[in-house]
Amino acid sequence: MKNGTTLLLLAALVLAGAACLTFWEGGSVTATAASLEATDSGAPSAMVIFPVGEKANPAGAGLKPVAFNHLVHEKRVEDCASCHHTGDTVSCTTCHTVSGSADGKFVTLAEAMHSPRIAKRPEGTNTPQSCVSCHAQRLRERDCAGCHAIVKPARDESWCVTCHNVDVTAEQRRQGSEGTLAPEENEALAAKAVEAKKTATPLSPAKGPLKVTIDAISQQYEPNVFAHRRHMSSLMEAIKDDKLAQAFHTRPETLCAACHHNSPMSSTPPACGNCHKPNIDPAHPERPHLKAAYHLQCMGCHAGMNVARPVNTSCVSCHKERAPQR
Amino acid sequence: MNRRKFLTILGTAGVASAMSTARVAEAGGGVHMFPYWENSYGVLHDTTRCIGCRRCEEGCNKVNNLPKPKKPFADLTVCNTRRRTSAYEWTVVNKYSVDGKPVFRKLQCFHCNDPACAAACFAKCFSKNADGSVTYDGTQCVGCRYCMIACPFYMPGFQYDEAFDPLVQKCTFCAPRLKEGKLPGCVEACPMDALTFGRRSDLIKLARARIKDHPDKYLDYIYGEWDAGGTAWMVLGPKASTPPPAGSHGDGEMKALGLDTQIGNRPVAELTYGALGAVPMIVAFWPVLFGGAYAMTKRKEAIHKAEQEAVEKQAKDDVTTALDAAVRKIEETQGQPAADAARKAMTEALKSREALDSCHASSDHGEGK
Repeated sequence: MKNGTTLLLLAALVLAGAACLTFWEGGSVTATAASLEATDSGAPSAMVIFPVGEKANPAGAGLKPVAFNHLVHEKRVEDCASCHHTGDTVSCTTCHTVSGSADGKFVTLAEAMHSPRIAKRPEGTNTPQSCVSCHAQRLRERDCAGCHAIVKPARDESWCVTCHNVDVTAEQRRQGSEGTLAPEENEALAAKAVEAKKTATPLSPAKGPLKVTIDAISQQYEPNVFAHRRHMSSLMEAIKDDKLAQAFHTRPETLCAACHHNSPMSSTPPACGNCHKPNIDPAHPERPHLKAAYHLQCMGCHAGMNVARPVNTSCVSCHKERAPQR
Repeated sequence: MNRRKFLTILGTAGVASAMSTARVAEAGGGVHMFPYWENSYGVLHDTTRCIGCRRCEEGCNKVNNLPKPKKPFADLTVCNTRRRTSAYEWTVVNKYSVDGKPVFRKLQCFHCNDPACAAACFAKCFSKNADGSVTYDGTQCVGCRYCMIACPFYMPGFQYDEAFDPLVQKCTFCAPRLKEGKLPGCVEACPMDALTFGRRSDLIKLARARIKDHPDKYLDYIYGEWDAGGTAWMVLGPKASTPPPAGSHGDGEMKALGLDTQIGNRPVAELTYGALGAVPMIVAFWPVLFGGAYAMTKRKEAIHKAEQEAVEKQAKDDVTTALDAAVRKIEETQGQPAADAARKAMTEALKSREALDSCHASSDHGEGK
């Protein structure tokens, strides 16, 4: 039996492969959740948060429920108590129902999830966090603070559907609100929504101009040559692996909108001077004049990202001194 | 007029004027001592935008033709010292610190809605104008510098170096430029829009909107909205990460910028408007009062003199008539020569009595002394 060992090995391989396939098939039948990476805490990797309420919602109206990715959030926070503020790792909807309950000190589900700022609790007591307040804190960190110091994300429909994205049937919604939906089905729905979520590929810096000459109002100094591509690349590099940015920067042009703000998002945004006039517009006193608009954008972002240089008052760092005019 | 009467009149006048000032103060009661112009202008100074470049100082110096400072405007180290405005520097930028980060604030006249300087000036040199500016006209200035003492922001400066006709000088809100439709020099020079010019009512809305949009960036306090009864120039301050203890709303942070929130929200002008507003009234009224008193005294003296003279004349006439009658009787009974001798003797007797009288009078006078 010269080839006996080889044959045996081959047979074993085939058997193992078949066994694997069978197991995988079986798994996919019971729950799709297995497709997501398991959590360290043992909690489901993702779950759907339904609007649980005492009052029945027979019409089934309302926003789509939220698929909460427990896995990615768990990795970002210090411990369970960061979110489970009572120390008890139960679902948020246990206390915070749609209309509020005594257990949740009548803090409604919407408030518990969206309160932008939460008053600090006395020393030794855990200050609760809402999704929005925690995300807002993250935006104050260096990588985000540059853009987010100068622009405020639009709170429109596209902001809502970033989280409210689970397609459910009326029956599932009813069961979810009543709390009678089977955990397996809940997790399966969540996993499906998480996997279906597409991340937008940001526009390549190469698509934008290499340098932009800002000369509309140059008088005392030479026009500024703004390294557009270098700024774009460095901003993108800083947040390329950031899950929060990936989740909320839902369009390829989102990053562009930090500077090219207020106009509809576009890969060819209008020039700053379209809205910001060289002298302040009496009809829009709140709108900085063009010179201030540039300075506020550049310096605001640099201050947010702790860019020490150039110093704000060093004009010649950005604008070359102009030779005396004859 | 005797002493008692004079004092009575003076007292009455005093009470009357005091009552009129009391009425002014009552009517004030945190409202306005000066007309409030709905459409007046103002400037919002956003200290979170200010970078301390001193361009505003340079702009002010240029448009107002002020003397060149010793240190150039490019020297930014001067911001580190707590400078004050003077007769030749109508605006200065100082550096403060909030949360260990530098914050710059521009100092200049706040152009109060109810300017204390104007209320304190008895020569009426200051006026609050419809465009929001508080301007000074030195033609009547007596150089008392009450305005400098009255100003809660220590803004007016005095030309101490002028030997003849020194004047008080301060920011004019570039009132002449406003009339031409131009922005104030400092506002025009600001590269950061840290100074926003507009109607005061619009600026308050603008400031509120900024605070609302960036609650973590701005302190929820518009300095000058109500402080000192409201000012045309207002200041927004940055929010400190460590909130001050409860009950001191806005105080700690604004104090860090050298702004006093304890001035209160009633016009400072209220304190001086009554008393010093009465000065022109007194200047006009007192000459009439004293002139009248003097005239009355003079008239009484004249009447008295005339009366006395009349009495004296009457007495003299009586004596002459009696003498004549006596002489005529003697002439009838004893003849001409006896009458002549009697007349002579009687006239001499009268003369000697008169001399004695005047001698007595002078000796009486001497005793009286």
